[in-house]
Amino acid sequence: MRFVFDGRKVDACLGESVAGALLAAGVRTLRTSPRAGLPRASFCWMGLCQECTVVADGVRRPACRTEVRDGMIVRPGSVP
Amino acid sequence: MSTAADIIVVGGGPAGAEAALAAAEHGLAATLLDEAPQAGGQVYRAPPRAFAGADADPAGVRLRERLAASTVTTRFEHIVWSVSPGFRVDALGPDGPASWSARAVIAATGAQERVIPFPGWTLPGVVGLAGATIMLKSDGMLPGEQTLVAGQGPLLLAVAAGILKAGGKVAGLVDLATRADWLADWRALASRPDLAARGARWRARLLQAGVPVLHRHALRRVEEAPQNRLRVAIGRVDGDGRPVAGPPLERIVDAVAVGNGLTASTDITRLLRVEHHYDALRGGWVPTLDAALRSSMPGLYVAGDGAGIAGAAAAAIDGRLAGLAAARALGAVAPDAYRSSTAALRTQARRARRFGAAMARLMALRPAQVAGISAETIVCRCEDVTRAEIDAAAADGARTVNQLKAWTRCGMGPCQGRICGDVAGALLAGESGARPSAGYFTGRTPFRPLPLNLLAAEIDYATLALPPPAPL
Amino acid sequence: MEPAFDAAVVGAGAMGATVALHLARGGMRTALIDRGEICREASGVNAGTLTLHMTRAALIPYAMKGRELWLSSARWLGQDVGARAAPGLSLAFTPAEREMLEKRAAARAAAGAPIRLVTQGEACAIEPGLNPSLLAAAFCELDGHVTAYLTGRAYRQALLTAGATILEQTPVEGIEPEGGAYLIRSRTQRIRARRLVLAGGVWLETMLAWLGLRVPVKCLVNQLVVTERMRPVMRSVVGIANGLLSLKQFENGTVLIGGGWQGIGDPERGGVAAIPDNLIGNIQLARHAIPALGETRIVRIWLGLESETADAMPMIGPLPGLDEAYVIGCVHSGYTSAPYMGRLLADRLLGRAPDMPLFDPTRLIQPAPAQLEATA
Repeated sequence: MRFVFDGRKVDACLGESVAGALLAAGVRTLRTSPRAGLPRASFCWMGLCQECTVVADGVRRPACRTEVRDGMIVRPGSVP
Repeated sequence: MSTAADIIVVGGGPAGAEAALAAAEHGLAATLLDEAPQAGGQVYRAPPRAFAGADADPAGVRLRERLAASTVTTRFEHIVWSVSPGFRVDALGPDGPASWSARAVIAATGAQERVIPFPGWTLPGVVGLAGATIMLKSDGMLPGEQTLVAGQGPLLLAVAAGILKAGGKVAGLVDLATRADWLADWRALASRPDLAARGARWRARLLQAGVPVLHRHALRRVEEAPQNRLRVAIGRVDGDGRPVAGPPLERIVDAVAVGNGLTASTDITRLLRVEHHYDALRGGWVPTLDAALRSSMPGLYVAGDGAGIAGAAAAAIDGRLAGLAAARALGAVAPDAYRSSTAALRTQARRARRFGAAMARLMALRPAQVAGISAETIVCRCEDVTRAEIDAAAADGARTVNQLKAWTRCGMGPCQGRICGDVAGALLAGESGARPSAGYFTGRTPFRPLPLNLLAAEIDYATLALPPPAPL
Repeated sequence: MEPAFDAAVVGAGAMGATVALHLARGGMRTALIDRGEICREASGVNAGTLTLHMTRAALIPYAMKGRELWLSSARWLGQDVGARAAPGLSLAFTPAEREMLEKRAAARAAAGAPIRLVTQGEACAIEPGLNPSLLAAAFCELDGHVTAYLTGRAYRQALLTAGATILEQTPVEGIEPEGGAYLIRSRTQRIRARRLVLAGGVWLETMLAWLGLRVPVKCLVNQLVVTERMRPVMRSVVGIANGLLSLKQFENGTVLIGGGWQGIGDPERGGVAAIPDNLIGNIQLARHAIPALGETRIVRIWLGLESETADAMPMIGPLPGLDEAYVIGCVHSGYTSAPYMGRLLADRLLGRAPDMPLFDPTRLIQPAPAQLEATA
């Protein structure tokens, strides 16, 4: 399986979370915080803290709670 | 479209699953809702179905088998976002919004982790201890090649041992407690020899792997280091969690897993404005319940760690008790049958709670832990609100956490204070005198951020029946 | 006994806090009393809309003054409460709504509001984020918004600087006239003041009853919704013709969605519960007006209690039959005009002639039950 994060192709396994696949692929930062602009990634891994929010196929959701789908288009959840 | 049920159970961990099973065994239409793809909660979290041969806890496997064989209606991948009095439960599922009406609701929403903030806790590569267990169980991955494990409570051992078992390296275990603290509760540990033995196995594994253990220490800060690594400063603390002066130890690692105990997840009870009280040894603010696990709102029951941290064993028994109490209230169990079936459970529950209480004591916030948070440290991660900003609001007269939220946006971001709430309350308690007077963030819907496009379908404006405007 | 205070204001919302601030600055020893914390009810949780589109025509001159005061709050209040000027648009998506806008805009323009109808093209030029399927819009240059949750902190500092006494967490249980002053009783305190101002919003009915006055006050339970921060998608204050939508994006990127959709609650229990179907109805309208809102997420829904009199006009002025007792409240679009309304009443207490007429509460007072029997 393969999906795209921020323009980059990422390999993933069936059933894997977007957060897990990105960490395995060496992607450390999933977004920057809106006020201080600091790098953030998955922290609680249970969909609570929202730190790993990404836009997956047009929907904002925590990467740790998003199962990879083949061909998924994902971008960082940062807000300009 | 709203579906009718007798009982809605929110949360598919051991408490919720047992509650739904108990109600269903007495002929009630019980519906179990959970946001995960399978039952088990965080403690028995199932590996993804696609991970063939992945290692799942046998207790979780059994729980899922019993649910599948029961008449419980299960709806997974449903994010419950509202519970209205009366009751109506709203969720967002894979096919869009759904709602249920029910005569009783059992909230079994479990626990969430507390992390005492330190500079750098927001960096990628720093994860919660509970988060680390999910990575190991559910994603089958390590937080990093070399992970430093830090904080307090039994999850420390579980995570460190889990990392070793999965073939990872533990750079060190930084524990607020001493060996003596761990052993102080040996009598309680003896109440559950099976669980005590598991703890001993974890320790043995650490010893065997030569993991350095630092007791009475805590993290001071984490910084980025070259090659995507982290530089960690570790310092000595006293028994209250107060930093002790002295040069820090430094370690370079790939990841940090840190946690300072669990707090009760009280979204539903806070929203429904039932009575709560502050119980430091059971994870902070908890709903006030009677022996049948009834809250102050008729028809609303609470079971498991969401009623106060007591652990998985107690949660399963309490879940069954809550399910029976709800079934009794709905007339599905005769008084005699209810008495006899609950008597034995209550005895078991007492024993399990003793063990849970011992574990909760190790997790409890120490008096000086938040006092040591430095001014520049971010407390509210969503809004990057620092300790200094919180102190400034307190100096301006903020005395309750809800006032603090309005004045600083602490707790106003996407997590809605679920991560910072306990620490914010503890910080403000220093000003307002005590935790109860600082209060807790008022419960609000939605329980999780709701994608607007999934909740609000596009409309045909011309067909709307809109009421007339206000007077001119 | 000499009263400790020249004036006591009961109810620390924006109305009461403004009165107290001007009285303290005018040299009166002033107490501001609230059962909770300053500006934590309607004044701290409302949508912060500064709009003339929804203001009752007769109140437009007051609302325009109030808006000016919010926009200059740094000057007179001492802190910026996030007040920003922005154009305001009220949208029509159907011919019936266009007709409604024409009539209502004309009436408001006659009352002094610079509101005029604009075409679909003009509206989309003012606000590029709009759904282009609109037919027309009413446009007002003089709208804007305030970050309502900052109100309390700003007023608190200003009041303390002015020497006022703030008594928070002090639920008043009764008030009675006592020897040319008023005795205000809470569970733990007895406060005496020469002058009394009741500023209790939806709790005014209860407060007035302490003084033997029967004035029904209706309680609206407005649902408010806020999104997480998102990219800039709008720069104006947007509503629809019948008022069931109000939208604005703050500088921090969050979008506040309101419009008076009702939740469950009452003065006794406060806001009890949001109604999910009303949330869905509200955000459907929001997404229809500004389609880009579909990209974001809702993070919080809450309730604010709004008060309304029988004729939906304010009560501001002296209470009949009582010496130096006053009421202020039940102002439609009250948050917008609060800084001005509060100053008007303070002027009256300080013996200055108010710039604009007050709103005599006498018209709203109903005969007490005993009097009803006597007249029957």
